[in-house]
Amino acid sequence: MLKKGKSAALFEIGGGFEHWAERRLRYLMLAPAVVILLALTIFPSLYMFYAAVHRISPNPELPWQFVGTANFARLFSDGQFHVALRNTAVFTIIAVSLEFALGLGLALLLDKYIRRLTFLKTVLMIPMMLPPIAVAITWKLIYEPQFGVLNEIMYRLGLPTQAWAGDVDLAMLSIIVADVWQWTPFIFLLMLAGLASLPVEPYEAAELDGASSWRQFWDLTIPFLKPVIAIALLLRVMDALRLFDLVFILTGGGPADRTKVLSLYIYQVAYRFADPGYAAAISLFVLFVTLILSTWFMKRMRLVE
Amino acid sequence: MLRKLCLALAVTASTLAMGASAWADITILVPSGSEGDGLRAAAADYAKLKGTKVEIVQAPYANVFEQGANAGATKSGVFDIILMDDPWIPFFAENGHLEELTTYFKNAGLEGPDDDFLSKSRAICRNPYNEGPYVCLPYVGNAQMFFYDAAKFKEVGVESPETWDDVLKAAKALTEQGGGRYFGYVFRGGQGNPVVADFMPIFWSYGADMFDEGRTKVTIDTPEGAEAMKMFMALRDVSPKGVESYNANEVGTAMAAGTAASSINWPNWVATFEDPSQSRMVGKISYSPIPDGTEPGSSEIGHWTMGIMSAAKNKQEAFDFMLWATSPEQIKISAERGNPPVRRSVFTDPEMTKQEKFRHYPVLMEAIEASTPRPRHPKWPEIENAFGIELSKAVAGTIKPEEALKNSQAAVEQISGLK
Repeated sequence: MLKKGKSAALFEIGGGFEHWAERRLRYLMLAPAVVILLALTIFPSLYMFYAAVHRISPNPELPWQFVGTANFARLFSDGQFHVALRNTAVFTIIAVSLEFALGLGLALLLDKYIRRLTFLKTVLMIPMMLPPIAVAITWKLIYEPQFGVLNEIMYRLGLPTQAWAGDVDLAMLSIIVADVWQWTPFIFLLMLAGLASLPVEPYEAAELDGASSWRQFWDLTIPFLKPVIAIALLLRVMDALRLFDLVFILTGGGPADRTKVLSLYIYQVAYRFADPGYAAAISLFVLFVTLILSTWFMKRMRLVE
Repeated sequence: MLRKLCLALAVTASTLAMGASAWADITILVPSGSEGDGLRAAAADYAKLKGTKVEIVQAPYANVFEQGANAGATKSGVFDIILMDDPWIPFFAENGHLEELTTYFKNAGLEGPDDDFLSKSRAICRNPYNEGPYVCLPYVGNAQMFFYDAAKFKEVGVESPETWDDVLKAAKALTEQGGGRYFGYVFRGGQGNPVVADFMPIFWSYGADMFDEGRTKVTIDTPEGAEAMKMFMALRDVSPKGVESYNANEVGTAMAAGTAASSINWPNWVATFEDPSQSRMVGKISYSPIPDGTEPGSSEIGHWTMGIMSAAKNKQEAFDFMLWATSPEQIKISAERGNPPVRRSVFTDPEMTKQEKFRHYPVLMEAIEASTPRPRHPKWPEIENAFGIELSKAVAGTIKPEEALKNSQAAVEQISGLK
């Protein structure tokens, strides 16, 4: 009897634990992900805020010095930061616009006229699948002034050869072309998926009403695609603001600072000039600008109320 | 059962991963390329000989500085030795990342590196330069030399270029004859380190310098600086299109392919120029010290030096390895592996000098002995960046050369805090 009672108590304890575990199972299952998120995202972000208000010496014997908003104030007087900001803006506007125009154009073309050519669609997506470093090195070889294929073609056509990435007037354009080559397929892919999901009925009605193709494009296709366009542009703008690989490999920010972008400058300040406090302040500025732009953009495209 | 097995595997893998970084007695951070490869080979020999476990961590040039600075700032002790480019020495030494070697030498019964090391090779390893205590030992004896195609220079009436005026005269004629496919001169015009590295020897050859002797004043924007800049711009005008983005590879390739007649370059390119599988110019390139300007020419020294990190876990073992690796026998082996030596006995060893691939040794030894270090300042990377931007603008023609000097003066004054 005693034995029976003891095992019953144990069962109750076990049952209690099982019940406890069952009630909290969702939290237990989420815990590893939350811990990883805290360690890899939340903590570094908070640490960045902390670093941004300190002057951090590369000498480990010197304590971190609290400087308040001094690192942010420095943004207003730092000429190199202004150059990087301007170059990033120019790159983002031109590159993303070209990628959007070409990506949408290609998607319309393939959707309407060559729908069955899946092979062609796959080929068009290859640049997007390549690692950015491989793309940068490939374009570096293409642009090489003395031995590059581009100048060889120019020479054979009797046209003047160019320094491309080494020319102050062509360096940014060279980077934009390489970026457009790699990321147009991304826009193309999203637009193609968007076009494939469009309803047929409104187009049939428009046809019956005698609407031209152009009218159908502006009044039906674009409004229907609006959410896809918004997402595609948003992702590309956010990515363009973080451009690093192409610039690092192709030009190193030169010539004459013409291609220095924010990510490259942050890298230089943090690692070459050993000033992580100021680098954190610039990074926060970029984060802030990205957030503002994204929110404004999503509201404008009516993705959020 | 399966779950238990997975758990056991995970624990074993984690333990192994954590232990992996601690298996070595000495961990050395080295750059990619011949310098790092040489030390890697030496470390393998040392491990076989002494039974010491030596781990080599190899990274691209810029990353060696970053990883070293990070390890120093965090006192991680992950590296015992760092193979440093000499302009980094003030940064590492003055920020407390490097161990002073005085006590180690004393314990080994030595006063310092012996006299067989070239005097400039020893001077570079003291901080401040040539005066302070030793903070590293020289390993690779890099100093710039002037490389030129003697036959081409002779064709246009310059037997051997003694001065920058001689170089310009020959380069101008050769570029004019080249029709846009051959050039008399080529240099590293890429923004930052490349353009600064190829400008400094010309700067010094005209009596200019970045700081005054006691590092109390910035002296870039001076009449001597202007003279040097004038010559640099004249040389730019006879260089290939796109030189604004050139780094060592582009310059080396142009010389090896025979599309440029002359350049300043580092001695490790000799191996490439003399290798038939990589060069069309085997046996055709001559080497000389840096030409004179208004003052005797001076090479930029670019030694690779070994220092012990302050937070190193095995400092004595690290020092023992450094002494062994820089012994005459090991420096000779290192030279055979393609790294320029730092010892007089190796430079003058008949076994070496009789070999065609080492015919540049007398010139290189002369170049090292007449070399100048890059301005020794703990903020050198930032100074070099600022100076490199202005030089790049001048090379690209977006600002006038005199503006570049004025802007550089202001930028370096601001960074260094010297007015």
